[in-house]
Amino acid sequence: MVGKILNIQVKAGDEVQEDDTIIVMEAMKMEIPVVAPVSGTVKEIKVAPGDMVDSEQVLAVIE
Amino acid sequence: MPKSRRELATKLQEQKDKTQRGDEKAVAKQHAEGKLTARERIEKLLDSGSFVEEFMLAETPSTDFGMAERRKPTDGVVAGYGKIEGRTVFVFAQDFTVIAGTVGAAHAEKIAYCIETARKIGAPVIGLYDSAGARIQEGLDVTRAIGKIFYQNSITSGAVPQISAIMGPCIGVAAYSPALTDFIIMVKGTSQMFITGPSVIKEVTGEEVSMEELGGAKVHSEISGVADVVAQNDEDCLQQIRKLLAFIPSRAFQEPPRTAAADPPNRLIDDMETLVPEDGKKPYDVRKVIRRLADNDEFFELKPKWARNIVTGFARLHGRSAGFVANQPMFLAGSLDVDCSDKASRFIRFCNAFNIPIITLVDVPGYLPGTKQERAGIIRHGAKMLYAYSEASVPKITVYLRKGYGGAKQAMCTREMGADQVFVWPGVELAVMGAAGAVGVLYKKEIEQAPNPEDMRRQKLEEFTERFSGPFEAVSKQYAHDAVKPEETRMRLIQALEMLATKQEERPRKKHGLMPV
Repeated sequence: MVGKILNIQVKAGDEVQEDDTIIVMEAMKMEIPVVAPVSGTVKEIKVAPGDMVDSEQVLAVIE
Repeated sequence: MPKSRRELATKLQEQKDKTQRGDEKAVAKQHAEGKLTARERIEKLLDSGSFVEEFMLAETPSTDFGMAERRKPTDGVVAGYGKIEGRTVFVFAQDFTVIAGTVGAAHAEKIAYCIETARKIGAPVIGLYDSAGARIQEGLDVTRAIGKIFYQNSITSGAVPQISAIMGPCIGVAAYSPALTDFIIMVKGTSQMFITGPSVIKEVTGEEVSMEELGGAKVHSEISGVADVVAQNDEDCLQQIRKLLAFIPSRAFQEPPRTAAADPPNRLIDDMETLVPEDGKKPYDVRKVIRRLADNDEFFELKPKWARNIVTGFARLHGRSAGFVANQPMFLAGSLDVDCSDKASRFIRFCNAFNIPIITLVDVPGYLPGTKQERAGIIRHGAKMLYAYSEASVPKITVYLRKGYGGAKQAMCTREMGADQVFVWPGVELAVMGAAGAVGVLYKKEIEQAPNPEDMRRQKLEEFTERFSGPFEAVSKQYAHDAVKPEETRMRLIQALEMLATKQEERPRKKHGLMPV
């Protein structure tokens, strides 16, 4: 599903727990939280607010 | 000198005892793999001591390719009948400790017998699969016998419930038998289903894949949609079967079992307001809504990790079994796509076949747009939901939680699609399309020609939202029977279900309809 990045809730270096919201995107008139699939340290955020993204795209890297 | 009756009886008993004890080594191996034996499984599945085994001493007639030495009583499957919560069920359990549970002609005959007899007496049939596959030593006799199973599975479909548990390998053509049944439960880590195995795949395509990656529980519960439930281990699997069966009657034209209802029917749900945010852009987990509506917060979800944009499963309302279908705003914003249409329509048809009322919770933004969906055939797949809802003559109740747009609204069972009772929540937005999109089309000229198009767009959007949001159009035009407060929803559903309990609705006489599969 194609959507737009609304905001990013973490930055590189942040510790995140599994299921923490890291990015909020908007698609089909809904604000959809993108949650961390694993616990770890955010290494890189690959998108910025306003970017259009598609499924399968890497949004962030967690180590 | 012929033996006496007593001597023969003793010999027979010895054979039976030996068969029940089984091969010590093979049993130890089965246990080492974390699996129970076929007999242990049946013992845990059924009410204690209720199992009556049939055809225990059946053996394959085949003697070719070493089968004369390898053949054994049961022919690799334990079969018979017993009780679950006092209700008669037929059960067959493939026994990996006997000729690796391979399917020979005698084995297949026993399975076909169970299904056929279950249908005749109107009892559910449960299959526990754990087999190395078809016994190729028996040649064409085996494929013929397996064909009999497929035929029995198919003609029994919709007459009595058929539940399959995959508790080991279920591979090759044998995988089509559970595929023809109503529900498939797979045990995590020890079960696999596939049509062509890793060695054939490597030979034909060069692809290297393990049995687990090809057809393990994760694949079938998250990617293919073949499995309905994943169990943690054998014991969990057998408990899940008992739980599932509690929602389902023993045959068509019978009411599902009703339990004593300890949970008060007129209970108000105080936190419903906060569970579902008023802001239509905020997602929420609709499974929590279903649990709140249900007796004792209990919901038996099916295919929970596949096509997650729609939620399907069973719950009870004042002791009555009900099937829930709900848009899930957490995934794909709750929009409808190919896979979720497949998931929902199959579930709706099961409920209809077995007299289970259907409750539909609607919060749908539309069909998922895109070339992927159109090319995957959303037209014919989406049509299945329209067909399944219209075809269903069981009580159908639809509740609009927040929004229903356009064609997707019809696919979620509107009044004109045959819903017997339709309720809306006060903040509902029902429209042919979303307000912003509609304003863009309806006021295209006014917006373009306005001195300040953005102001005009905003003004028109406000007017439009004011006019069409909320329950008033829906109730004045009789789209809905009533607007209900979120906290009263459980109470109103229970009232409606009780009123609809005696519903009867005929369909035109014909051989069968042609669902757009």
